Amino acid sequence: MTEAGAIPDKWGGEAMNPTVEFFHSAIRKTVAERLAASGKTWEEAVGDPSLELTREDFVRIEADMLATGYRFEASAQVSAVEEPDKYKPEAAIANTGQQPRDEQGRLVVGTGDNVFQAKGDVTGTARLISTVDVVMDMLVNGVPENTIAVIDDSGGTLTAPILEGFAGVVCMGGTIRSHLGILTREYNIPCLMAADLDGLQEGDTVLVEYSKPAADAYAERDAAARPRIIKVD
Amino acid sequence: MPAQHSYADLLAANAWIRKASDAFYFQCTARTVQESKLFPVNPYIALSYLNAWYRYPELFRKIEAVMSAEELGDHARERTTSANIITNGIIEQFYLGGRQMLMDMGMLKATDAMDDVMYVLDFTQRLNLSYHRNHAHVLPTDAGLSAQLLPERQVQVFEADALGTKPGDKLHTSVAHFLAAVSQYAFLKNSECRLGIHNSGPYKVGGGEMLVREFVDLAESDLPWLDGVAENVELNNVTMPVFMKDTHFNIVDDWASFEAQPSYNHDNMYAVGLYTSDYLSDGYIPVHMDSAAELADYLDHLRDTIHDATQRLWKEVAGWSRDQMIDSGLLVYYNVPKDLAHIAGVYEQEDWYTVEDRVQRFKPLFNDEYGNHLIAELVGYISLRSQQGNESHMAKLSGARGDMWSTIPYSVLGDEEWTGSVGPIRGGSTSLPQKTALYTTTRGKLTQDQCNEAARALRIPTLEDGLRHLDDAWVKNHPDDPRAHELYRRTQARSLVLKDKGAGLLREDVLALRKEAGRDD
Repeated sequence: MTEAGAIPDKWGGEAMNPTVEFFHSAIRKTVAERLAASGKTWEEAVGDPSLELTREDFVRIEADMLATGYRFEASAQVSAVEEPDKYKPEAAIANTGQQPRDEQGRLVVGTGDNVFQAKGDVTGTARLISTVDVVMDMLVNGVPENTIAVIDDSGGTLTAPILEGFAGVVCMGGTIRSHLGILTREYNIPCLMAADLDGLQEGDTVLVEYSKPAADAYAERDAAARPRIIKVD
Repeated sequence: MPAQHSYADLLAANAWIRKASDAFYFQCTARTVQESKLFPVNPYIALSYLNAWYRYPELFRKIEAVMSAEELGDHARERTTSANIITNGIIEQFYLGGRQMLMDMGMLKATDAMDDVMYVLDFTQRLNLSYHRNHAHVLPTDAGLSAQLLPERQVQVFEADALGTKPGDKLHTSVAHFLAAVSQYAFLKNSECRLGIHNSGPYKVGGGEMLVREFVDLAESDLPWLDGVAENVELNNVTMPVFMKDTHFNIVDDWASFEAQPSYNHDNMYAVGLYTSDYLSDGYIPVHMDSAAELADYLDHLRDTIHDATQRLWKEVAGWSRDQMIDSGLLVYYNVPKDLAHIAGVYEQEDWYTVEDRVQRFKPLFNDEYGNHLIAELVGYISLRSQQGNESHMAKLSGARGDMWSTIPYSVLGDEEWTGSVGPIRGGSTSLPQKTALYTTTRGKLTQDQCNEAARALRIPTLEDGLRHLDDAWVKNHPDDPRAHELYRRTQARSLVLKDKGAGLLREDVLALRKEAGRDD
């Protein structure tokens, strides 16, 4: 046995992520202690309901990790809303102050992978769409004209009821094969995925180079060839 | 005591485990990263694997008490249901995912639940072999990433009946709008996963290639959260064969997703059809295909009802708790085999839409970060302790030291101790509202009991009277056999162009009949 656990493992190591490692090590340790205390063989114990780990065991394991001061990264909005004390605060869009400029001297505030080659570039107002409340507001009151939706979610559900209303999409995650990429292609809405943003702010007027060729999912990323997001006001 | 399985059985089971590992690794790393600001996706995925682990063995035995896995595959192949490429092929992945997670937690050994594991592996292999009979591979990855599910008799009907269209005409536009709306709805109603979208093919056709695009579980039916919001959606499953020129579908994969070279461009669509079918239909039923104008109007209508359902559903989901979002996604993943129960006529909502007590207990662990990283390590990085092999090991595709799913040690054939089963299904619950509406089917809106009764009574004509085993390999050498004509006539029964034309047609005949019927106009 290479660590506190009931099952020896000659070749096993640690998980990559500290949370996974913390949780699984703690579970292995609990299983080993319970097995040893039972006096039963593994085969007798593994199906014995009286020896099963319970919800309380798992609550304790997570509490032990939070007690170290660690806080988890949230991905779904509802998670942080319901249990804000468990999660780290959400990171804002970076602003290094070192943004490059384009041929006309305008700030380049981001680049991304083009889902498909649109007939032309699009100029519009950048609006951050990252919460249910923002989507609900646009669902009720309509999507403002010329909205370039800046979305930190490559899924297809958060913006489902209002996607059709966007003039363009800039997504800060995912790939061109992500659900949002698939849907924007179906709707023929110009879209950049996996966008790296620097200095883009809510309400900025931006020009997005959607007319550049679509990204090749199988090729290495060519940073210089990526369509740019250019601040024009 | 030695396990009651032969060495040959164990060899085959382990080969299936390894094939599943490699195929799933390819899909998980080649397709996309799943994330959502709305749904806690990876926590629900991981929990669904656990529900699969505890429940599938008993549920598959319940189904097979009525209908074998091979028969289920045959039945599924004749129609569009939620028993399709992705759902049939992913069953063992989810089940083995639950096993691997518990092994990594030290709660399970590779020698545990042996009888269950062997049974689920055998069941899923027989199911997929049967479902994919036409191309004689068990998964699309084995077929070079293509999925030619359908025999000539069905492809001919789709090609003959398709309505010609071109960019700028009403049908062309209506198809584009419909596909966008239904794709979006499919992601939302399935809690951000792709299980509602299905593609098969490609098939060579007169003008290029045909891809069969399908969308399933659209109406008030099994998904309880569609009760009310989808009350106006008339068709639960939609089949849309699309015919493309200048396009090669180079990938149709294990998740029924496609890629094309050059990229899919709707302008290249030159013909299209629309059908519905389900576990109660005896084949594909044409929908408003008498003319292009009629089909375009109907697609616009369907698109409007789906758009309305999307907006209504989104407003509901936006008010859900995290636990409700977890349960919806968990259940959508876990219940990938549910239409097998429908086909066999033993479907019970309770079996497929509750979370086992043994899974509920894990929920406190599944914050977003743990769920995200656990899934990333389990199916992407293959970095979990339990997955690591010896220091010389190099996995297929990744070359890594680990494999996704652990095999069963052969020592169980000797004196190694083992256990047989996870035991019977225990109680389950869900935080979501209970289902109240009827089930939308091709026979109308029915109760669960009526669905099961009708499914058990259903006879699919192309599988009856000695026709079940007459495949294309047989037809090749028996084109004039009366049984071949009968097989084709039964497939052609609802065809607008090929009705009663029989087994002797070649493509030029089909194209000529299309033209004569005005389908290109």
